[in-house]
Amino acid sequence: MIRFLALRLGRALLTIALVVTFAFVVLRLSGDPAMLILNVDAPAEAIAAFRHAWGLDRPLWVQYFAYFGNILHGDLGQSMRDGRPAAALVMERIPATLAIALPALLIKVGLGIPAGVQAALRRGSLTDRLVMAAAVAGFTVPSFVLGLVLVLVFAVKLGWLPSGGQDSPLSAVLPVVTLGFGGAAVLARFTRSAMLEVLGQPYIRTAMAKGVPWRLVVRGHALPNAAIPTVTIVGFMVGSLMAGAVVVESVFSWPGVGRLLVTAVSNRDLAVVQCILLLVASTMVLSNLLVDLLYGVLDPRLRAAR
Amino acid sequence: MSSTVLPLPTERRAPVPALAAMALLWIAAVLCVAVFADQLRPYGITQFDLRNRLAPPLGFGGTAAHPLGTDELGRDVLSRLLVSVRISLLIAFGATAIAALLGTTLGFLAAHRRGWTEAAILMLIDAQAALPFLILALAVLAFFGNSLPLFVCLMGLYGWERHARIARGLAVQADAQGYAGAVRQLGAGPLRVYMRHVLPNIASTLIVSATLSFPEVILLESGLSFLGLGIQPPMTSLGNMIGYGREYLTRAPWILLAPGAVVVLTTFSVSVLGDWLRDRLDPTLG
Repeated sequence: MIRFLALRLGRALLTIALVVTFAFVVLRLSGDPAMLILNVDAPAEAIAAFRHAWGLDRPLWVQYFAYFGNILHGDLGQSMRDGRPAAALVMERIPATLAIALPALLIKVGLGIPAGVQAALRRGSLTDRLVMAAAVAGFTVPSFVLGLVLVLVFAVKLGWLPSGGQDSPLSAVLPVVTLGFGGAAVLARFTRSAMLEVLGQPYIRTAMAKGVPWRLVVRGHALPNAAIPTVTIVGFMVGSLMAGAVVVESVFSWPGVGRLLVTAVSNRDLAVVQCILLLVASTMVLSNLLVDLLYGVLDPRLRAAR
Repeated sequence: MSSTVLPLPTERRAPVPALAAMALLWIAAVLCVAVFADQLRPYGITQFDLRNRLAPPLGFGGTAAHPLGTDELGRDVLSRLLVSVRISLLIAFGATAIAALLGTTLGFLAAHRRGWTEAAILMLIDAQAALPFLILALAVLAFFGNSLPLFVCLMGLYGWERHARIARGLAVQADAQGYAGAVRQLGAGPLRVYMRHVLPNIASTLIVSATLSFPEVILLESGLSFLGLGIQPPMTSLGNMIGYGREYLTRAPWILLAPGAVVVLTTFSVSVLGDWLRDRLDPTLG
């Protein structure tokens, strides 16, 4: 078990290191920072002084390790827009993002998994067809179309809910619903197929043959086995909590991390973009790690094997 | 559940799925529009009609001159829609083709070389799968700025890891089978073995995988264009139209509802077709 954990942790750190390397390489490929900050026709001495001040005249590998060291110290550079530390800028947006992402996650899990299980258990029934139709709709209707149609109906025509901003608790309703519905659809579709696969297994037939009540077959044999692939998808959703709302936040002018990312990208505010990239990668890696641990809990065979 | 419901052992499948036929019909129509957009469109996409700004569509108080209405500058929504369909499809086709080519090549390379080449490719696949693609795409756009060739190449990175994983798995399997060994014994080089013998044998699975990622590319492109970070004006795409139409949501919702409906119908049709193809050709794909 210890070895299994160490292996997973090592892989997680390696992935983050890869992302940092990617950011460094892309940053250096994208042009000379001196040219970006200073003017093209700045005097040669000024450019040389700038390059020296920022360590750009050192060999590339020295720069690479310095870059790594800075990140380990939590120094992620300053925003080009207002000179504030990029990390602080990103941190203050996190609560707003979580305020819609967490309730949306609840909808996804609370609606998607039961719907998928019910659809699989009543295969071919009206419930199954309705769930599948909703699932396909959830996958094919992009969140910005769904969000804007919801705004059109509930904010513009009916006037029940605000169309955007963060003025009242009600403003969160439409973003949460938009975000939650798409995820619930994906999860329902996935849970259904995982459940159907499990229900076709011989051990289900065995359990039924020896007279175990159907309710117990489902609870004791089918659900735990279908949980393993489902947990993977839920883990991916938890991992993309920070970044999953980029489009939805923009539709509803919600001041979260996603909207900051979009403005930073259009202003080419590299320090902020890079900071968000790291934040997203680390949440993703962390949640994958948790999923791996959960596998051990859910599947005793995995515990024994490692 | 108190009564015993026996799970059915095999899936019931209608012999001719009406939904797949309808999806095929819609895709054919969209393809025709994409090819003949310039012949079909009644106006130029940047042609202003300032006296007819924000004109509603036919049936909502509009005239036959602008069947889908006009936008804030009096540009014909129908004309812009037709050209947008062409651009969005062109990007989705180009991107899917690039991703399939890149993924298959890397997958074959991993299967052929084994050793550290394979390890490196597998590590890249894992790293790619660990990050949401939208974030990666946004980061690249921030670092490099936006241009059409870069944008298409970037979209072409979408889904390569899935194709690579499938191609590698199938090629490893094929290598173990008699026919690949037989041609190799006859003196064929690796290129000939993979291109002429292995590829035709696994093509159906790869085509299904590409069909399944096609609608995702459309959604990704329209999402980025919606954010104003994809296709730039004066060019137009479906997402781009929705993004600009958003500002007129209260006064002229038709500007964004028409492209919105086209995006939904197209992604829906292609995924229905993809699911159907998968069931027909290769039920093993997830």
